[in-house]
Amino acid sequence: MSEPGKTLDDIVLTRLLHLNAKVQGLVTGTLLGLAIFVATNWLVLKGPTIGSEGQPVMGPHLSLLGQYFIGYKVTFLGSLIGFAYGFVLGFIGGYSLSILYNWFVNRKERR
Amino acid sequence: MPQQEVLEKRFVVIGAGPAGLTAAYELAKLDLHPLVVEEYDKVGGLARTENYQGFHFDMGGHRFFTKVNEVNKMWREVLNGNFLRRPRLSRIFYNCKFFSYPLKPLNALVGLGFLESTWILLSYLKWQIFPYQQEDNFEQWVTNRFGKRLFQTFFKTYTEKVWGIPCTELKAEWAAQRIKDLSLKTALISMFVNSKTTIKTLIEEFDYPRLGPGMMWRAVQEEIERRDGRVQLNSDVVQINRTDKRIDSIVISENGRQTTIQGTHSISSMPVTDFVKRLRPEPGLEVLRAAERLKYRDFLTVCLIVDKPELFPDNWIYVHDPAVKVGRIQNFKNWSPDMVPDSSKSSLGMEYFCTEGDELWNMSDADLVELGKHEVQRIGLASYYDIQDGCVFRVPKSYPVYDSDYQDSLVRLKEFVSGLENFETIGRNGLHRYNNQDHAMLTGMLAVRNLVLGERNDLWSVNADQEYHEEIRAEAELLSPDVVESIEGALAKVFLKLDRIAFGLSVGTLSGLVLFLATLILVLKGGDVVGPRLALLSQYFPGYTVSAEGSLVGLFYGFIAGFSSGWSFAFLRNAAVFLYAAVVHRRAELYVLRKLFEYF
Repeated sequence: MSEPGKTLDDIVLTRLLHLNAKVQGLVTGTLLGLAIFVATNWLVLKGPTIGSEGQPVMGPHLSLLGQYFIGYKVTFLGSLIGFAYGFVLGFIGGYSLSILYNWFVNRKERR
Repeated sequence: MPQQEVLEKRFVVIGAGPAGLTAAYELAKLDLHPLVVEEYDKVGGLARTENYQGFHFDMGGHRFFTKVNEVNKMWREVLNGNFLRRPRLSRIFYNCKFFSYPLKPLNALVGLGFLESTWILLSYLKWQIFPYQQEDNFEQWVTNRFGKRLFQTFFKTYTEKVWGIPCTELKAEWAAQRIKDLSLKTALISMFVNSKTTIKTLIEEFDYPRLGPGMMWRAVQEEIERRDGRVQLNSDVVQINRTDKRIDSIVISENGRQTTIQGTHSISSMPVTDFVKRLRPEPGLEVLRAAERLKYRDFLTVCLIVDKPELFPDNWIYVHDPAVKVGRIQNFKNWSPDMVPDSSKSSLGMEYFCTEGDELWNMSDADLVELGKHEVQRIGLASYYDIQDGCVFRVPKSYPVYDSDYQDSLVRLKEFVSGLENFETIGRNGLHRYNNQDHAMLTGMLAVRNLVLGERNDLWSVNADQEYHEEIRAEAELLSPDVVESIEGALAKVFLKLDRIAFGLSVGTLSGLVLFLATLILVLKGGDVVGPRLALLSQYFPGYTVSAEGSLVGLFYGFIAGFSSGWSFAFLRNAAVFLYAAVVHRRAELYVLRKLFEYF
């Protein structure tokens, strides 16, 4: 990043940040995976709530994720599956975001 | 350069101060047998140590701290085991109270009392909101940063004592220069490195020769003479003869007897103004007028011997209080215990800033000693009756004055002097630059390299202003270059701007796609009621439904919402990063400014 003849002030004022896609993917993936893992286990520890028809229901809203994440349920095992899905989705999201961002920035810098 | 040519050179060095003696020392090491002529009766120049009744008095108090490796090496080489590592304490005396130095806001506010502190805070706020629109002079410049009240308390009186002119006549550039080169890198690195050890080394301690700086310069003199060089004291340069652009000879007066010294090369640390005035033939009128315009500030030290083993813990005290004339008080025993010959006594240096020929300068020694005795008692550092003896030493041309005219005049002189082929001017007064001892020495070393080795070092660019940042800068420089480069690289990455549009477009595109796919998946899965929960988004996105058409509407809304969020995030993130960088930079600036008096 150091450039001969340029001070840090020059660099900071004139250059744009480029994102590292892999790092961004890993960070976003880990965060999203952990968020689903924690959110699922939180509900598991709290136990079931009573549904509209009086039956016990475990995390009725979070379990809707199962519509996208095949095999996901609000259980401990489901939290592990959710972590995996979250990580993959987050990684793809973070990675794509960085690739897109860098592409836009490169175009701008070329101009 | 051929060895024969080097050996045929005959060097004359004018002035036996740090710059001149360093140049001569370097020449002596090359077996070039320099001749040094010194007007005074002892070596050391502005960094000399005077002796009275066996007590040693350092003219000005010279800490030995440098970032210049060659200078540090020479100090160690010459003084060997005679360096002491000394603890440092210096405070400000104002309004009958002592304040920490460098200034610490909390200490200052507590010391000034609740009412005065409130006024200072209000004044600070007022000047932050309604600053001077123009910063032409020192008063306006400091007021805009600290408020008028704090300026009057801690800056005005001392600055005016030192320079002898109102703060409104001192150019703002003088203060601005102190921080203008303070880079973001320096400020940031100083924030990130572990400063505990370096701060202690650089601020709380310093090196000092056992018998004062004069010990260093006497040792250098002996080394020059041991190598067949010569240091001729009490020799006043009265005329410098030249042929066009070459110096041919120097006429010195020793006890009224004039001698002409021939030399192939000359190095001068005498005031550049005196140098041009003594040239024959004289330089042009413009050069002489420029020399006339450059001014100096002088000082005198009233040395007092006190019949007390301990007086106060400081090495020196800045006296801001306008009730007394003294500007700074040195407690030499705290610089080195060997500065006093009898451990049951102490010695003080009462430093009065004045101008040659003014009332203070012309006072008799006896009157000055009386003044010193009264003032030291008034400040409460020693009793009048405990002072058993005293003497006075005057140090002319101690400080080159940076007034409004000096730069133009100096440029004119520099043009002329730089045109002389076998000559170099060095040192604080030779260059009319506020160089400390180490930078003065560096100019001596570089001058020798220019004349002997044919190098082309620009002595005028040995930057005095660097000194003002040296303690902050040193923290960064104490790290290895590799580490600094890594830190700089990391900092650059952290502090680069996130492009708002690009980030907004990326987040928008992804958000739109996520909503598009989420809708389409549910549509493809089908069922009696398709995606009833996702359909709730229509409360925010009018027209959105969980249908094939709705997925396109969702793509549009997702893009808009994502773009807004991404753009806002990038904007806030950039603002936070720049605010942080500005705060760090400002803090570093204030750190330098709190130590402003150190550089007087």
